Amino acid sequence: MWRLFLLGVLFSIELLAVTLWLDGAVLIGRPGLSGFIGVWGSWILRAVVGFAIFFLTFSWLNYRPVLLDAARDAAESGVDWRFVAAHAVFISLFGILSSSLYGTTSSLLISDLVALAWLATGVSAIACGAFAFILPNLWLRIARNTGYLWIITLVAVLVACLTGNSTRSLWPWAANITFRMTRVLVSPLIPNLMADPGKMLIGTPRFLVEVAPECSGLEGVGLTLAFGITWLTLFRKQCRFPQALILLPAGAALIFLLNSVRIAALILIGNAGAERIAAGGFHSQAGWIIFNLVALGFTVASSSVPWLTNPKSADAAAAPADNPTAAWLMPFVMILAAGMLSRTLTADFEWLYPLRFFAAAGTLVFFSKKYAGFDWRFDWFGPLAGLVVFVVWIAPDLFVPAGAGAMPSPLSTATPLARNAWLAFRVLAAVVTVPIAEELAFRGFLYRRLISADFESVSLRRFSWVAFLVSSILFGALHGSRWPAGIVAGAMYGFVLLRRGRIGDAIAAHATTNALIAIDVLAFHHWNLW
Amino acid sequence: MRKILAIVLLGIGSGVAALAVGIPGPEIDPASVGSGLALLAGTLLVIRGRRRK
Repeated sequence: MWRLFLLGVLFSIELLAVTLWLDGAVLIGRPGLSGFIGVWGSWILRAVVGFAIFFLTFSWLNYRPVLLDAARDAAESGVDWRFVAAHAVFISLFGILSSSLYGTTSSLLISDLVALAWLATGVSAIACGAFAFILPNLWLRIARNTGYLWIITLVAVLVACLTGNSTRSLWPWAANITFRMTRVLVSPLIPNLMADPGKMLIGTPRFLVEVAPECSGLEGVGLTLAFGITWLTLFRKQCRFPQALILLPAGAALIFLLNSVRIAALILIGNAGAERIAAGGFHSQAGWIIFNLVALGFTVASSSVPWLTNPKSADAAAAPADNPTAAWLMPFVMILAAGMLSRTLTADFEWLYPLRFFAAAGTLVFFSKKYAGFDWRFDWFGPLAGLVVFVVWIAPDLFVPAGAGAMPSPLSTATPLARNAWLAFRVLAAVVTVPIAEELAFRGFLYRRLISADFESVSLRRFSWVAFLVSSILFGALHGSRWPAGIVAGAMYGFVLLRRGRIGDAIAAHATTNALIAIDVLAFHHWNLW
Repeated sequence: MRKILAIVLLGIGSGVAALAVGIPGPEIDPASVGSGLALLAGTLLVIRGRRRK
């Protein structure tokens, strides 16, 4: 399995380099094949990445033994260095041809030939890279033993790209409907409402909003449809068809309507005097709140409304007993929910950050009886690992002089009481509630859930490459621009947990890292770390 | 037929969603994609985590 991971890392690095280096906009408008690449190049990349992600995910869900068999055989066959060399040659040629293709223009024939060679070397480089780590016969076996999955994935990805690139023309049309619905919603509440359908401006003299094409509501519709179809596919045995399909248009219509409600609320908040909150946190977070509510409503309806559920499914027949997941996951979920709420009410500084602390602390107290049975002990190794993670975390900032990341001005100009109270809760959250909540969620729950559905029966000392890598990568992905250090941190805390099988060790390591970061921020004014 | 319909709709949905990536100020903020999806996934895992007898 590590070989598949290595292949993923290699392709990700190359993809990142290509994306950063080549600007597809240069080719847009050129005649022939190079112009086609300019329009469709980014979509071809998305199709390749999408295919890999969809195929791997659904293979893992439905054909795990096939993947494990192939991984075992791949491990026995070794790396084929001839394909590695061929990959290097094709990548070099791809680089040279890229310079020519994205550089100065030449005659149509030469330009088309270069574009054709560029595509051929790119495809050959991908194929050779894939064959180097997993031999061609194993790829064939995976394709054969996973039924029609590769065809289904290919069609889905192609349709996604074709639709995605062509629905741009629908944006102005959808934005117009959103504009009209917003006016209907707001006009009874604001007597002096200004609405200019020509410029798509709506609001008041105090707060005016432009309903841009990208705010049309189609993005939410797309996300809801993608989520709904994935959900109905994965849980099809628990749903009653065709009745459950009604949830798709219902969800799409609801989120389209709620987008107008979002814009109406934006105008009302801005007009009420909170312009910076409306344009800042509310504008950023309201879309996510709406999407999450619609998605949750979709899942609850599909599993709870008798008309939509399959009466023969075992899940519908059984009565709920207990919920072992809640104690491990709820503190983390509550931090995320409180964070979303506090950011929604934020103008330029998150004064409501303490909400995250109280949400997590309250949840931890609520489940305290369950936690009494956990192993909270730790020894010297956890804090030592935490120190190592701290060094990795601040390494990119080593050349940033102390004081470069200044204290945010709303905090520095606040009264001493407000500033110190905010700092106290910020430190408490970083050192106490966040390490406990994140370690319970990522190491205690997710790591073991990736091994078995009955995660509580899995020992905290049991090792699995897939669970270790996936939980570390997801942990890193949640840390924004510091995702590489986040992955290292996740792996290190996972290693600490596995050493003795004690959740306390992982929490001690995480708390040490966060405490050192807090000291760095407060003592050396590296505010960019928070 | 159901599967085909599902694939087509999944494609349309994903395509529209993918189109929004990189657009400044869209209705669903890409900067919050990590925390937004984590909140949704976490809540769903808790809801689906009920043990039944």
